[in-house]
Formats: sequence, C-alpha cells, structure tokens
Amino acid sequence: MNSNKLKAKDFITVGIFTAILIVVEFLCGMLGYIHPYIVASYVIMIPLVGAIPMMLFYTKVEKFGMLSLMSVLIAIIMFVLGMGYLGAPLIVCAGVVADLIAKSGKYKSFKKTIISYGVFCLWICANYFPVIVTADSYRKDLLDGGYSAEYCDDLFRAINEKTIAVLLILCFVFGCIGAVIGKKVVKKHFEKAGIV
Amino acid sequence: MHVALDPRTKLYMILVVSMVVLMTATTPFLWGVRIFMTLVPITLLFIEKKYASAIRFLIFYGVALVLTFFFLSEESSGIFTAILIGYCGIVVQFMPSMITAWYCVRTTKIDEFMSAMQKLHIPNGIAISLAVVMRFFPTIKEEYGSIRDAMKMRGITFGSGNVLKMVEYRMIPLLFSCVNIGDELSAAAITRGLDGNVKRTSIVDLKLHAADILLMLVFTAVLGVFVYYKYFR
Amino acid sequence: MENQESIIKIDHVSFKYKGSTEGFLSDVSLSFTKGETVLLCGASGCGKTTILRLINGLIPHYYSGDLTGNVIVAENNIRETELYKLAGVVGTVFQNPRSQFFSVDTDGEIVFGPENIGLSPKEIVKRKNLAVSEMKIEKLLNRSLFELSGGEKQKIACASVSALLPEIILLDEPSSNLDWNAISDLRDSIRRWKEEGKTIIISEHRLWYVKDLIDRVLYLSDGAVKKEWRGEEFRTLSESEVAELKLRPISLEEKYIDAFTDEKGQITSKQMPAREKAKCNGNLTQASDIGEKVILSEFCFSYDKKHSGRRLRKCIQNGITGECDGLQLCIPNITLPAGKVVGVIGRNGTGKSTFLRCVCGLEKRCPGKIEVDGKQYAGKERLKITYLVMQDVNHQLFTDSVKAEVMLSMEEDDEKRCDEILDRLGLLPFKDKHPMALSGGQKQRVAIASAMAAGAKILLFDEPTSGLDYAHMKQVGDMLKKLAKSGSTILVSTHDPELLALCCDEVIHIERGKLVG
Repeated sequence: MNSNKLKAKDFITVGIFTAILIVVEFLCGMLGYIHPYIVASYVIMIPLVGAIPMMLFYTKVEKFGMLSLMSVLIAIIMFVLGMGYLGAPLIVCAGVVADLIAKSGKYKSFKKTIISYGVFCLWICANYFPVIVTADSYRKDLLDGGYSAEYCDDLFRAINEKTIAVLLILCFVFGCIGAVIGKKVVKKHFEKAGIV
Repeated sequence: MHVALDPRTKLYMILVVSMVVLMTATTPFLWGVRIFMTLVPITLLFIEKKYASAIRFLIFYGVALVLTFFFLSEESSGIFTAILIGYCGIVVQFMPSMITAWYCVRTTKIDEFMSAMQKLHIPNGIAISLAVVMRFFPTIKEEYGSIRDAMKMRGITFGSGNVLKMVEYRMIPLLFSCVNIGDELSAAAITRGLDGNVKRTSIVDLKLHAADILLMLVFTAVLGVFVYYKYFR
Repeated sequence: MENQESIIKIDHVSFKYKGSTEGFLSDVSLSFTKGETVLLCGASGCGKTTILRLINGLIPHYYSGDLTGNVIVAENNIRETELYKLAGVVGTVFQNPRSQFFSVDTDGEIVFGPENIGLSPKEIVKRKNLAVSEMKIEKLLNRSLFELSGGEKQKIACASVSALLPEIILLDEPSSNLDWNAISDLRDSIRRWKEEGKTIIISEHRLWYVKDLIDRVLYLSDGAVKKEWRGEEFRTLSESEVAELKLRPISLEEKYIDAFTDEKGQITSKQMPAREKAKCNGNLTQASDIGEKVILSEFCFSYDKKHSGRRLRKCIQNGITGECDGLQLCIPNITLPAGKVVGVIGRNGTGKSTFLRCVCGLEKRCPGKIEVDGKQYAGKERLKITYLVMQDVNHQLFTDSVKAEVMLSMEEDDEKRCDEILDRLGLLPFKDKHPMALSGGQKQRVAIASAMAAGAKILLFDEPTSGLDYAHMKQVGDMLKKLAKSGSTILVSTHDPELLALCCDEVIHIERGKLVG
C-alpha cells in the first residue's frame, strides 16, 4: 500500500476542517456588515480565530496534498458562495506553497508550520478581489449619483489596489502570530486531553 | 410543477452570475437584464417550495434596489444615509450571486453533486471532501447550538467580557465534537467501501433536460449582453 | 448447529491499541458458524468492540496498534484484504446514529455503499427498493437526515447496511441512544436478517431485547472470552447470576415496557418493585410533611414561535383546551419533593427534553416559574438555580483542567470550596487533568461539580445512563442518591428502568407534553 497517497480518512478530515474554517470566515464576514472598515480587518480576525482549528488540523497532516486540497476546496466554495473566480489562483497558490513549506519541515517542524500557516492565510485576500475589480466603475456610479468624493474615498480607502499589498503582509504577519497562539491552545487543550 | 435542474446547469448559473456581478450596469436596459437575472433563482426557489428564503431574498433585494434608485437621484446628506446607500450599493451589486449560490446549495443532493463532479472529471478526493463539507455545515450548527445552551447555563456567553475567552469557550468544545464525529464518520464510511479503487457509480442519471438547456441559453445571453456593453461599446 | 461451516475464524489474536490500555485482547481464538446470531457482552472496555473491529477490518486498517494472530473472514485474510473489498461481505451498524451517516438525505445514504463498490445503477435501485420495503421505511425517503430522530437514523443505518447484502452483519451497541419503540424496530430488523440466514454478531449492554434472537453468548472480561452459553442456557440464568457477572438484567426491562404501553398510564410509584417502593415511601411522606417542596407552575411551551410567552400564559389560565393542543409542553402545575430524585419518563419526542430545557430556563419564551425555599424564580433567574447535565456532556466542558472548570462557575475563586466539592464527587485526584481526558462518568461528575459551584439547587439529567454498562449505571444511580441527600433536588429523564428502580423516589410520566397519572 502506498502510504503517501491520500485516503478516505484524510479526505474526510480535510472536509471537516474546511467546513469549520468556512464557518469562521462566514461569521467574521457577518461582522463586516457593521462597518466597511471591518471588512478590511478580516486580515487580522480570520488568521487569528482560524488559527485554532488550523493548528489542530496541522497536527493531523502527515502527507503532501492535504493543505493543497483544502485550498482547492476553499476556492470552489468561495466561487459557489459568489466571491467570484478571480481569487481562485491566489487561494490555490497559497495552499500549495503552504503545503510545500510544511512538507519541507516534514509536517512536524514548529517554525515551518508557523510560516506555512502565514502563507496559507493569504487566501483571505482573495475575498477582496471582486470589490477591487469593480471599485473604479462603482465609484464613478456613486460620484455621478451626487455623493461627495470624501465619502467615496472613505469607502474605498480601506480596500484598493495599493492597500492590497499591505493587506497581504498583514495577513501573513497575523497568520504567524495566530499560529503561535493557536499552537498554545492546541497544547493547552488537545495535547493535554491526549487526543493529538 | 417540478423542475429538477442538472447540477451542471446550476454551476453554470453560478459562473455566469459571479461574472456579471463584476460588471457594472450603466444603462436602464442593463439594469433590467441584471434584475431579470436575479429573479431567475428566486423564481426557482419558489418552484422548489423554499418560500421563506425566496421571500426573504425578494424583499431584501427589492428594498436595496429601491433605496439605491431613490436616493441616488437626491443629494445625500449625513453619514448615516451615506453608509446606508453604500450598503445598498454593495447588496445590489453582489446579492445576485449570493441568491444563486443559496439556491444551488439548498437544492442539490450530495449524491447528485458527486455524480456531477464525476461527469466533469473532478478528482474523487475533491468530491469526497466537498461532500463532507456539505454534510458538516448542519452538524456544526447542531453542535454549536448545544454548546451555546451549555454556555447560557454557565453564564459564560460573553466570556466574562474577554474576547479571547469568548472564542475559546466556543471553539474548544466544537473542535472536540467535530474531531470525534469525524473519526466515527470515517470508520462508518470506510466499512461501506468509500476507499475503493473501483469507479463509483451513481443511481442519479444526470441528463440535460429542456429546462437546463433553456436556462443555459438565457444565462449565456445575459453574459453576452454585459460583455458586449462593457467591451464593445 | 446443523451447518458447521465456519465463516469467521479468529486465531490466537492479541491486540493493543496505540496509546491506550483499554479494549485490548489477549490471545483470543473464536470461530463463528454461518447463519448464527451471537451476543458479545461484558463491561465497557472488555474488548467487545475490538472483536467487531477485527472482523470488519477497521483493525488493522483504520485503528493502529500491535496485532498478532490471524483473522479470516469469509476466506479473506483481514490483514491482506483492502477494506473496500470487505464492504460487500461485512456490514456494520454503529453505536452513534448521529455520526455514522455520510449523506445529508436519506436516499443518498441508503445507496451510498452500493455506489461505492461500483454496482450498476439498475442493481442499486433494485437493492434500495428491497431494503426500503423490508424495513418499511417508505415514509423516511426523500428527507433530510438531520430532521430524523435517533431511532429513525438508526433504521436508515440498518437499511444502508442491508443494501450492500453482506453475509455478516455486526452491530456495535446499536441501542445505546434509542428509546423502547426504536429498540423494538431494531429487534425486528435483526430478526429479519436472522431469517435471511445472515451471520449476526451483536455487542450490547442491554440484553433484554436480543435475548430471544441469540444462538450463543460470549462473555468477555479483560480482553478474553471468560464464559460461553448457548442461547437457551443464557435465557434461564437467574437474576443473581447475571448480577454477579455485572451484566444488566436479561428480562427486567420488559416489565417496564408493558407498564409503559398501559393505556391508563398508571405508571408512577406503582410500577416500582415493591421493596424499592417501600423503602422510599417512608422518606417521601416525611419530606412532604416538613413541607420542603419545589413547585413548578405554568410550564408551557411550543417550538412554534407564534406562541409568545404571553400567549402561552394565557393558554394556561384558560385551562388546557383548544389552543393548547399544539403545544409541545403543557404542565400547569406540579409539586415535587425537594431533596429527592424524581424520574421523568415517557416515549421519545413526547416532551421530556423540552420539559427539562424549560425548567432550566433554556427556552426563554416558556413562562414557567419555579418556587424553591419560598422564593420564586422565573425567566432568566431559572438558569441560576438549575443546571442541566446534557446527554452529550462533552458540550459543557470548556476549560483545560477540572479545577478551572469548577472555578469558572464561582463568582469569586474559592479554592477551599472547590476542593470540597471535588472531594465529595471523588474528583480530587483528577484536579489538574483536562476534563476531556477523563472517562464518560468522570466527565459527568465534573459537570455536576461545576453546577454545585454555581449554587444550583435543582439538577437535571438528560439520559445520564444511555450506553452505560451495569457497573457505571449503578455508579450514576448511587451518585444521584448522594446528591439528593445533600440537599439538591434532582430531575432525571431516562429510558433506563434499572436506574429508575435504583434511585428514583418518585416518577412523573409525560406523554404528548402533558403529565399522565
């Protein structure tokens, strides 16, 4: 038997954790309805909150492909949920690179896990793609409709082509911070309870 | 009336809608097309007897639409109106894809979905994992409901004001439950042959019916109109 | 046995799970003949489940550990056979109906197995229809699995196994989460399989419902088969012999089922064994004389949101007529003795759980009031003086140590009181352990400890003994008695007649949301 091939158990594990991550993403997304700036703060919230399930997931990853598969699933689900297809390449790239990094540490190295999760978190930025793409024409609409330029600036200041670089970096940084915290939580609970 | 659409048609609908929402409607005609496109999944929801969600979407979308049109022609004043309009704009822009997605997810059985994935030559692993994701959303909802009850009884719903605790108290029991259920689910699925090297069959016989073809044509036309106006006018 | 053909051979097998000392097997040799029905019994952790896992191949292919010896199932050596090849040979019904289904809809679940092994669609449909008509589950088709009851889910699980047409069917404590009606349906399924000539192996604590079906009984202890009876022999074992083996009674429960189906609903103290009744009646009258009472009034509820709190209250005031028919719960008034254990019985889905949820204040719209020690509690206040120990206790443990779990419930940290409570429940040695690392019974006690720390006066238990073996059931019963003695009032919803007999001072019976008898 080829032990490096993913099996049903692995597929199911990936499915479960993807579902949890999407729920986390969705709940944070609900907060976005409160104020546009919260939409920008996804890059902080989701990496931090998502780190707990993800660090537990990392303890279950032993083979190449599980992280990549997860990113493919996320891309598909984001597409189905109407986030468009533009972000898909970014999501899958982030997943595969994260997988490769974790693999280089044989899925055991703590440092590699942190960096890997940081990279994985970049998928969150894909959420902004549709907004950015439509931003120009949408803004023109608003201006034509008699809105002050100030308001439009406010709305799009947080999310545009320039800030996307900042957002990507924030994602990575908070991903790493989240990974450290998540690892602590996993130690505190799951290792102590003996299920990892 | 019963319309059982092929999952592939639904996927195509999602594809078209999510492309169209990225293109702004600039003329009344385009707005008309856009609204028509949004009404299609809502109508389908009605046909599938999902009245509650259909009406909810209809009202939500309608209100956002009216507000946008009504206020766009006037001077906006005050930060509250401004934000409200901003939101309505976003809702009008992206709501169609949410409605379509909701319709597709709610009306597709896992079996149909797996079989569509197979026909589209999507690897088995992806199909299995996606099926698990779909099965796990309601599970998470159930488990979370119990956990929230337990938190209420302990009076720790707000984690004594500590955000970190709020997240921890919800997440930890949820993860323990999910991992347990996952283990048992894997065992049960494997004993029923999930891990096989044989090609999976399906009793769902996917065929494109007249309704499917009609819808595909309609959505292609919608896409065509928008692409034409955006790039060729 | 006229047909001596052996279908399963377990040859000098020893097994130990990786990282666990429970459920091991040491040098077990067994053989099962084609067409026989065998019961595996014994305390939890004795290795019953491990034997089933050897036969369906989950050991060694899913659960890893040290395995020696050989297992041959229908001429397949388990070690070298891939699991999917066994899917058409061995079918397994698991303990937890919630976690064993893969699909979201019932139809998809029944055909899941046959589709996996790549049968032709025509054949699958044929098998599905056969399984459905055999199990009489036409009504369950085309439904979401999430809206089914535990018993209905278990039926779908049986149909899903049936559709694979396996020669061997394994059942791993299938009745743990079921009520009596569902258990009798389960018994029918097993009987049908037996008539079809399938080889059936059941691992079970509840013995009464399988006793007439089995040809052979194996008693396991410490990972080895210690005793073996023929079916007839087993049925004639005396009560004391069974008790000595720490098994649940073979026939006690049936007495209760007869009582349950009694139309008049004369259930209360009448059905308790005479000696139990005599024992508790003395205390009961005494307590009522002193006047220590818990009075519950206006406990009325409907899951339909159109019944607001006010409307529900009006229902109560106008008496139980007309409008109240749609309610899931309608108990205008009931007086319970304080400091006693009160059993709540009734069929599944008739309002027991709703009653408990309302009493502890989880259903905000329920207008019910609780009167304890002359004080009345309503609305959110109910949450403070009550505590519900859920059936799945895992949902109510939040922290990383038993001590922290207790402290979380205290308004001010009081280590001395914490130690006191833990000592009383025998949890002191586990003070610093993670609650999730403990056994099921210990987890239950941690939940109780946290309730006591919060000062709950009324403790509610939802099926605390489902799936427990005799020894653990007895532990729970003793603990409930002890808690009542120390002043808590206890309401316990249960299907477990042994628990009722063991510790309940009074029994209330709920049918269709109303008190009976």
